[in-house]
Amino acid sequence: MNSLETILRQLRRAAARARAASYAVHGLVAAGAWIAAVLVIARLVPFERRAEVAAIGVPVAAALVVLAWSLRRPSAPLLMALADIRLGLKERLSTAWERRAEAGPMDGALRQDALRHAAGASLVRAFPVRVNRGEASLVAVLTIFALGLALLPNPMDRVLAQRQADRASQARAAKVVTDAQKKVAASDKPNPQVEKILQDTQAKIREAASPRKALESITPAEQQLQRLTDPGTPALNSSAQNLANALSGTAAGRGAAQAISSSPAKGAQAVRDLASQLQTLSPKDREELAKALAKASQQAQNAPMRDSLSKAASSLQSGDTSAAAQSLNDVASQLDSLQAQQNTDQAVASAINGLEAARQELAAQADRDAKGQAANGTAGASASASASAIASGNGNGNGTGNGTGNGTGNGNGNGNGNGNGNGTGTGGGSTGGTGGTGSQGSGTGSGSGASSTERVYVPGQPVPGQSENDPTPLGPGQDVPLSPFSQVIQAYQQAALDATDQSLIPGSERDLVRQYFSQLGEQTQGAR
Amino acid sequence: MIAEEPRIDATKVTELAQALEAELARLIVGQKELVRDTVIALIAGGHVLLEGVPGLGKTVLVRSLGQVLSMSFARVQFTPDLMPADIVGTNVIGETDGRREFRYQAGPLFANLVLADEVNRATPKTQSALLEAMQERTVTVGTQTRSLPSPFFVLATQNPIELEGTYPLPEAQLDRFFFKILVPFPSEHDLLEIARRTTGESTPQLEPVADGGAVLAAQRIAREVPIAEHVLAYAARVIAATHPDRSELDSVRRYVRWGASPRGMQTLVLAGKVRALLEGRYNVAFDDLNAVARPALRHRIFLQFEAEADGITTDRLISELLEHTVKEPARD
Repeated sequence: MNSLETILRQLRRAAARARAASYAVHGLVAAGAWIAAVLVIARLVPFERRAEVAAIGVPVAAALVVLAWSLRRPSAPLLMALADIRLGLKERLSTAWERRAEAGPMDGALRQDALRHAAGASLVRAFPVRVNRGEASLVAVLTIFALGLALLPNPMDRVLAQRQADRASQARAAKVVTDAQKKVAASDKPNPQVEKILQDTQAKIREAASPRKALESITPAEQQLQRLTDPGTPALNSSAQNLANALSGTAAGRGAAQAISSSPAKGAQAVRDLASQLQTLSPKDREELAKALAKASQQAQNAPMRDSLSKAASSLQSGDTSAAAQSLNDVASQLDSLQAQQNTDQAVASAINGLEAARQELAAQADRDAKGQAANGTAGASASASASAIASGNGNGNGTGNGTGNGTGNGNGNGNGNGNGNGTGTGGGSTGGTGGTGSQGSGTGSGSGASSTERVYVPGQPVPGQSENDPTPLGPGQDVPLSPFSQVIQAYQQAALDATDQSLIPGSERDLVRQYFSQLGEQTQGAR
Repeated sequence: MIAEEPRIDATKVTELAQALEAELARLIVGQKELVRDTVIALIAGGHVLLEGVPGLGKTVLVRSLGQVLSMSFARVQFTPDLMPADIVGTNVIGETDGRREFRYQAGPLFANLVLADEVNRATPKTQSALLEAMQERTVTVGTQTRSLPSPFFVLATQNPIELEGTYPLPEAQLDRFFFKILVPFPSEHDLLEIARRTTGESTPQLEPVADGGAVLAAQRIAREVPIAEHVLAYAARVIAATHPDRSELDSVRRYVRWGASPRGMQTLVLAGKVRALLEGRYNVAFDDLNAVARPALRHRIFLQFEAEADGITTDRLISELLEHTVKEPARD
């Protein structure tokens, strides 16, 4: 006959099996409910890692079930009591177990009686492996529901794809800016301020919630970069060139002239050398040099340069070579300054190129996002055109891409696309510099910047005897005099571009504005 | 090694009960539950209130019990003019050696087995005297308290009809009865058997099968029957569930005025122990408690007027709460 401990072991094993089956079904219900909930949520809100999150519910549910199964083991008295009830043992086992350490008058008989009845019963039947039918049905329903949710098209997939494209676009734009930063850093004269601006901008682009938001960080960066440039640089550069031209006609200053033409830095060194050699020059050379300096002084547009050259010329003419040398050293310092400013301008130009390329990338993505949203039910799809061009160097850059987009630039490359696959784009910029190649030009677009019904104001022919700059006479129904088109178009263009810079509009829309004024400019030139 | 106490021969209790039931069955036709409950109360040492319409054999049962037990038997017919002294005894003047003196003359309560027939017809004063004796197992006459013989077993009867001129037992006094047993009307088959046995030339003569000592021994053994904690907890839950402020049953909350007292719990457990022995077990089972719950509790649960209006009985409420009381022990 088994002892009570043996009976208890048998009951424990049977109960463990039964509870394992029961808990397994609990786990299936929990996992199924989790997966279904995740899939339902993924249909209501964009949920990128829904598969991973849904899948993680399975091991978590399994772990919880195992934990609960191991922690919630029934105690021995409970097992005995349940066995009594389920096997009809009339509380013999539980009473005998409870009094197993007692030695009362009836305890012996009680134990014998309990063991005898337990021996005649199938203890395993007290804890049958049974699956709750309701839970099993629930598992089946949840499985079918989850499968349906997983297999049917999810409207949020489009949003997720757009998000991924947005992020990729932002990453590309940020990389373009980073490349520009590296380029600036790798140049002969790295500019920490420019690098810092680019670094901050790429971080903002990367962290922005959308391409449209990322675009907002580019214009301020460009403005910061613009502030680093010196508006007096062209005048100083012109003065330096004039000095080079003036010195090229002198025997003593020819070398310095070539050096200045080569680069302001070399020119500065050559001028210093010339200053140190003044005392050794013949009177004739001095006089010749003084005249050249005076001529350069007269042509100089930069005031400090003009003053220094004037002092040098007058000192040389008066025979004060030391004062003349001092003044030439001042000129050399200004050439050094010019070199530094040119370096900064070059860095700024390179940086702005990078930012413009990033802007094109982000604007194109913002356009695609807008089209996607319009296709989702918003009536009135807007026409848009975009093109991108990256021009590097101080020259003209041309980019061609799909369609007929092209970009030209002077330092700043920009491109415009014109819709319907036949877009045309031009980049505006002043001429100047040499070298430079355009690359990565691309253009895509649809729609058109100006529809056929749009009225474009074109300049009328000046009446005989009236100059182009004279005010246009009042027309019928007009109470203010009209200004000639050629006088206002530049201001209008500048105002419009400034406004687009300040506004949160996509780059492609800004390109439309540029294109509009470019076309007007072409018409103006044609009219002339 | 657990040193066990000398084993009590619990089978003697079973044999005693079986002998009593078998002997009574010779005269009492059917009514097995009535006989079983009466025997349980006897072995548990409690008193019984038998309720049934006239002619169902209440008095015959008690008288028969007196015959099968070799114990003194007394019958008191309760009437409105019955005085306490008539049952507990009184001091009377007697003459001893030419001297007159008060001498105590014991009443009918000084018997092992007392039949208090139609107990609700006596005045509350007399009922109280009886009930005090039932509880204390002593009677006090004058200044002297006298113990009643042991075992002392009172079987009172009352008639649920013809209530005019009766004094219903108050709740506190009803609580003194171990069991209140309803005597059912016999089945048709039993009626035929009753007619055959009692209308012939001779009626069965019952033989004594046990004496007071055997009953006392059985009472001691019955108290040794172990009861598991969760079974005891079940009994407590049943008792608590009879109280309207503790019960989760709407019917109890609606119809019950007072629930069972702690004495009801004692009765439930003790009766369960005896029943376990009579069933050949050495432990109390849920079934034992359920089987004795009605006679143990029906006179301890007091209903509202609405219950009577709605035809609700205590037995029905007890059945309902037994059905709804959880047996499984709580998970720890």
